[in-house]
Amino acid sequence: MDDNSRLNERVYVLATFGENLNICVPRRFKRASGREVEVSEVGLRHPTLKGRRMVHVFDVTDGGTDYRLEFDAERLTWHLTWEGDGE
Amino acid sequence: MSESLNSAPPSVMHIDLNSCFATIEQQARPRLRGRPVAVVNRQSENTMIVTASYEAKAMGVTLGMRLKEARKICPELIGVESDPPKYRYVYRELLRIMNSYSAHVRMKSIDEGVIDFSETTSKIRDMGLEAIGQEIKHRLRNEVGRAMRCNVGIATNRFLAKTAAGLNKPDGLDVLTSQNIRKIFSTLELTDLTGIAAQTEKRLNSVGIYSPLEFLDASEETLRKVVFKSVCGTQWHRRLRGWEVDKRDFPLKSAGRQYVLEEYKMPLDKVLQRLHNLCESVGEKVRSQGLVARGVRVHARSYQHRGSGWRGGYWHKSHMASVPFFSNQAIYGIARGILLEAPFPLKEIGVTCYELSEPDDSQLHLFGDEIFREKAITSAVDEINSRYGVRSIHSADTLNTGAVKQKIPFGSTRYL
Repeated sequence: MDDNSRLNERVYVLATFGENLNICVPRRFKRASGREVEVSEVGLRHPTLKGRRMVHVFDVTDGGTDYRLEFDAERLTWHLTWEGDGE
Repeated sequence: MSESLNSAPPSVMHIDLNSCFATIEQQARPRLRGRPVAVVNRQSENTMIVTASYEAKAMGVTLGMRLKEARKICPELIGVESDPPKYRYVYRELLRIMNSYSAHVRMKSIDEGVIDFSETTSKIRDMGLEAIGQEIKHRLRNEVGRAMRCNVGIATNRFLAKTAAGLNKPDGLDVLTSQNIRKIFSTLELTDLTGIAAQTEKRLNSVGIYSPLEFLDASEETLRKVVFKSVCGTQWHRRLRGWEVDKRDFPLKSAGRQYVLEEYKMPLDKVLQRLHNLCESVGEKVRSQGLVARGVRVHARSYQHRGSGWRGGYWHKSHMASVPFFSNQAIYGIARGILLEAPFPLKEIGVTCYELSEPDDSQLHLFGDEIFREKAITSAVDEINSRYGVRSIHSADTLNTGAVKQKIPFGSTRYL
């Protein structure tokens, strides 16, 4: 991932909770600028440890841009940590 | 001694994720699907390609090629920086799926593993290995992601199962048995067989063996006495006939890391900082396995091509200590002394700890207090790094070497 596109932006996320692959699916998020992004597909969700803190990483797309959202399972916060145009 | 082909029902399944890291990236970022993708360790034009997607491979892109060269033959190639946590997650998911069929699962690397069904329950065996193979493919798509594909090979031993898994890429499922082995071997080259590279091919050619079929037909005596000149010949004779000779675990003998320096003719102080960083990482690897080391080997690639005792730009030197050591400082102390003798300027450096063993605390040491203090400090640092994240505490002179990024562990799965 290109370092130039790395972010640490707190975002508001609307997510649904279901079963199997769809345990937690971010559907829409609102950026600090107020712009809302509709998630069209979750590519991969993977849990990762930051020290002993569990963070769930969601690689998502709105069809035009790819984003990485991180859900901190300890602090219950969402951050947008990367965006790219697929190149 | 000549053994017949193993005609028992196949009980070994080899599973290989197709173009693993590139496929995972295509799974994570849907807009990369169907496009040529190359996974690299660094975003620079001179970096080498770690994995290429099938679309890139179809355009002639190969592993080990520099990104710059690959873009000449495939201008639309997308270079994606590797993301090991993602690959470790898929590895663990694949392992979880495989473990649900047998207690005898061995991962050979981050992207391939073997299931041994010989001691599994009759309920599982009755499903049939081909049906299980299809189910694993289905589960991988359903439980990890729909872009995920794997190759499945089924045979009577690990070697033939791996050979079968390589027959129809991507997304193949093949069974290799004593009935079809001759037909399948007639379509392969010697170097298509795992473990046969150019050097062994030459040795086989020297006794008139030019194809896998001729290799299969060679007598045990020829392989043992003439080609391999060791018990390896007997093992190859059995392996090719479907008898198991590779069901072994090897103890960890060494742990190491290497790093390609990011600057041309980097000055000594900067090289030493990166060496220190590598030593910290290697020390952590050794301690994570509960081991101590006695030897340190440092290797380097130099811009000089020839010197006293070394040539071809590759230089290495080792040091064996009289007592075992475990701390980062001890490893760096030895490695630093060795590296100062290297033929600067350097392109690449690497550190390996060897002669690994379990610590022997039963012996009283003359400097017992100092060793105890060193152990206490090292454990405290490891504990803090484990709680707050890698490199939360590290030596001060490696402060600005954050770029010494951990690469993807291709070989051993011990650290995943």
